[in-house]
Amino acid sequence: MSALERRAKQGDASDGASPLGRPLSRADGPDKVQGRATYALEQPVAGVLHCVLVQSTVGAGRVVSIDRNAAEASPGVRLVLDAGNSLRLRPVSDFYGNKPEGETYTPFAEVVEHNGELVAAVVADTLEEARAAARLVTITYEDAAVIASFADARAGEGRPVEAQDKGWGDVDAALAAAPVVISQTYETPREYNTPIEPHGLVAHWEADDRLTVYEPSQWVDGMAQHFADWFGLAFENVRIVSPFIGGGFGSKGQPLPHSAVAAIAAKMLGRPVKLAVTRPQTFTAYGGRPGTRQTLTLGADRDGRILALDHEGANETAATKTFVETLGVVTSMMYAVPNLRSRHRIVPVNTVTPGAFRAPGKNPSAFGLECAMDELAEALAMDPLELRRLNEPDHDFENGKPWSSRRLLQAYDVGAQAFGWARRNRTPRSMRDGRQLIGWGMAVGTHPVYSSPAEAMVRILADGSVEVLSSAIDMGTGTYTILAQTAADALGVPAERVTVRLGDSRLPRAPVAGGSQLANLMVGAVHKTALAARDELIALGLGDPASPLRDRANTLSVEGGRVMTPRGEAVGIAELLAATGRSVIEVKRDTLPEGERSDEERRKFFTTMAGMERGANLPVSRHSFCAHFIEVRVDEDFGTVRVSRVVSALDAGRLYNPKLADSQFKGGIVMGIGMALLEEGVVDPRNGRILNANLADYRIATNADVPAIETISVGEPDYAATPLGGKAVGELAIVGVAPAIANAVYHATGKRIRRLPITLESLV
Amino acid sequence: MAHPRPVELQINGEAFALRLEPRVTLLDALREHAGLTGTKKGCDQGQCGACTVHVDGERVLACLTLAVQVEGREVTTIEGLAAADGTLDRVQRAFIEEDAFQCGYCTPGQIMSAVACIREGHAGSDDEIREFMAGNLCRCGAYPNIVAAVRRAAEEAA
Repeated sequence: MSALERRAKQGDASDGASPLGRPLSRADGPDKVQGRATYALEQPVAGVLHCVLVQSTVGAGRVVSIDRNAAEASPGVRLVLDAGNSLRLRPVSDFYGNKPEGETYTPFAEVVEHNGELVAAVVADTLEEARAAARLVTITYEDAAVIASFADARAGEGRPVEAQDKGWGDVDAALAAAPVVISQTYETPREYNTPIEPHGLVAHWEADDRLTVYEPSQWVDGMAQHFADWFGLAFENVRIVSPFIGGGFGSKGQPLPHSAVAAIAAKMLGRPVKLAVTRPQTFTAYGGRPGTRQTLTLGADRDGRILALDHEGANETAATKTFVETLGVVTSMMYAVPNLRSRHRIVPVNTVTPGAFRAPGKNPSAFGLECAMDELAEALAMDPLELRRLNEPDHDFENGKPWSSRRLLQAYDVGAQAFGWARRNRTPRSMRDGRQLIGWGMAVGTHPVYSSPAEAMVRILADGSVEVLSSAIDMGTGTYTILAQTAADALGVPAERVTVRLGDSRLPRAPVAGGSQLANLMVGAVHKTALAARDELIALGLGDPASPLRDRANTLSVEGGRVMTPRGEAVGIAELLAATGRSVIEVKRDTLPEGERSDEERRKFFTTMAGMERGANLPVSRHSFCAHFIEVRVDEDFGTVRVSRVVSALDAGRLYNPKLADSQFKGGIVMGIGMALLEEGVVDPRNGRILNANLADYRIATNADVPAIETISVGEPDYAATPLGGKAVGELAIVGVAPAIANAVYHATGKRIRRLPITLESLV
Repeated sequence: MAHPRPVELQINGEAFALRLEPRVTLLDALREHAGLTGTKKGCDQGQCGACTVHVDGERVLACLTLAVQVEGREVTTIEGLAAADGTLDRVQRAFIEEDAFQCGYCTPGQIMSAVACIREGHAGSDDEIREFMAGNLCRCGAYPNIVAAVRRAAEEAA
């Protein structure tokens, strides 16, 4: 059977006909509910020393001196590290594998560019000793002027990011001629990934030139290359182990300065070193989403057809390092816009370098655009859903390509129906329940489909069970489960007979778990590999002289773990392997493009972003879509906002496991509720300190903040998007939640809040 | 600071003879000394609930409790919740069934809280569950499924 016939047989995601597409419970569930899943800092490494970080207490300046004496004299201390005595690191290749010429460096700052920057570290026999000694490190700084955020006028306008420029048509002329124009500025604050497992690692030099690192990782192969570059090791001599990751949301894709510290300390001391970043330290040990602001100008005719869109975005970045939060990405592809211009700037301030946080770019981009659409609907006295239907594009205006699939109109129908949108009174403050103002808002989200090659290994073992091996990871995204389902499906064995091993750079290679690409590319690679293993099994059954099925048929199938002739004669897989004297069938395949390449060229597909296809080489435009319908209740006296109802209709193509995909949809919506109403990194304007660097003051949504959420999948298999028909899942659902809530708050109160989070102060 | 001294802890019905400094928290004693890493450290300052264990049947944050405080008391961690024959507690089963977690890191704390929440009689409605489970943060956003799991386990218990 070819892959194509197989697809036709599988049909829709939830048809239940084969393991793939069934709502199986999480394969790693039993381990997780019993505390048996082993996260990085829990790996049983004997004889570890404990390392505690010391971060700068000034926002900018120079480290004049560090007095290590008191700390060194403290009980149990083995080493106090700073830029003066640290081993030095070699420059690291960039995301595209280019290795820069450059000076060696240490992970410790000598010139401080942000508050909470890493300046020293203490290693001791116990955690308590290291923690106590870390407080005794005395650092003298020469202060410099701090520009704490881009709210500070001294930060200026920053510099343009020309690579983000885009546009078509004549925006100025179209806006000048447009009978209806709105123009507003939207802002989002710094937001932090805050996975509940804080960052940390155990670094263990098993030999002078062989390093094993237990560190939560969204990309073990990329991280192995990074450590290899730092220490001048061969890629194969670094092993990253990360079977479980306690949440990442973009923050665990690469080693960070503290990762180097643990490895340096372990090298210098000849002992494994465990380093746990404390929760407050996580707020400056790496960056989350930067503060953003964007101004949108929308022009439309009186019927609501958009004539032009002008967009100017900006995000904070670090003083000397660049991070671009791509605010124009949703803006430019969501609607049928005949004239469009988008520009982006970055504004250096004294912050840690911002980083990827769930749906980078897409999420704040949609906040601006979807609030602006609501404002345009208001200006036109139109229903905001009708405005969106009217401007639904029949192709991607940004690149002229057809959509691989875009079931947003279906999402509008299904979502609006389930929510009861037709009963909405368009007038703000028109719906209430006693002293509570009720608001109904909606907004749209989207996420592109990316893809990269991967390897996979499938082993059919003597007892008839199956192993799938890959360095891909599962951070709660369901990889363990869906890859078992994929192999079961292709091989014709029950999913319970498949064991999946992940998160180890010694296993067959995989690219980053980012951009919501991993599930699609890994089911593709495992499907291909498992089919090849199945072919080998069948060849064995047909051709091996000792096979009980030899000469019984021209073809064989595998179903329910049994190898069968068309007439129904069958032997178990274990029986066939035993009869033919095979202990294992082991098959490794990859989804690399055809072609000869060296080992190093091959490795770069997995250790860099160079192999990631974002769509430029494809004939179609690939995206997932969703429509959120949200009810809020605003207390008229106190201004408190509660989200009381959410209905979201989502087109993410085929769902490999609807139960687990649904959890990710709901999780994105929950995070979006926090973003809309709670989350904000508060920066001290005097010194750049993050004033709420803890989980009580940096408020993420709690159970009590979240109502019942109804999610409806309207996706269909999209084989133009990915080999097995899925689209982006993990980052989709957060996109559009915050604007839907902001629009609902406007509908409830008549007050338009254009800066997140929406707090009672902003409403009073 | 003081020297380590012998501390005997009763954890999951088993005696653990440890040598601990008085400043060692119950959380670090479990994870770094007793080899019981099921209890998680999410913030180490009493804000996230990941370290929730039971001491004499009551919910306690292990990061805000010194190990020496629980000498002579019965500590139950996530590792001690299933029956001796390995049968999962109904809350553990319900968490799997309802997919009440993703990354799994907050899960031991959620489950220990849920067991107590049901036992305390605070699982009478979805809103009550939300309120009494609000001290356990979940960044993956599994809250709706956690509520469903607690409701399911509470109904089974009733």
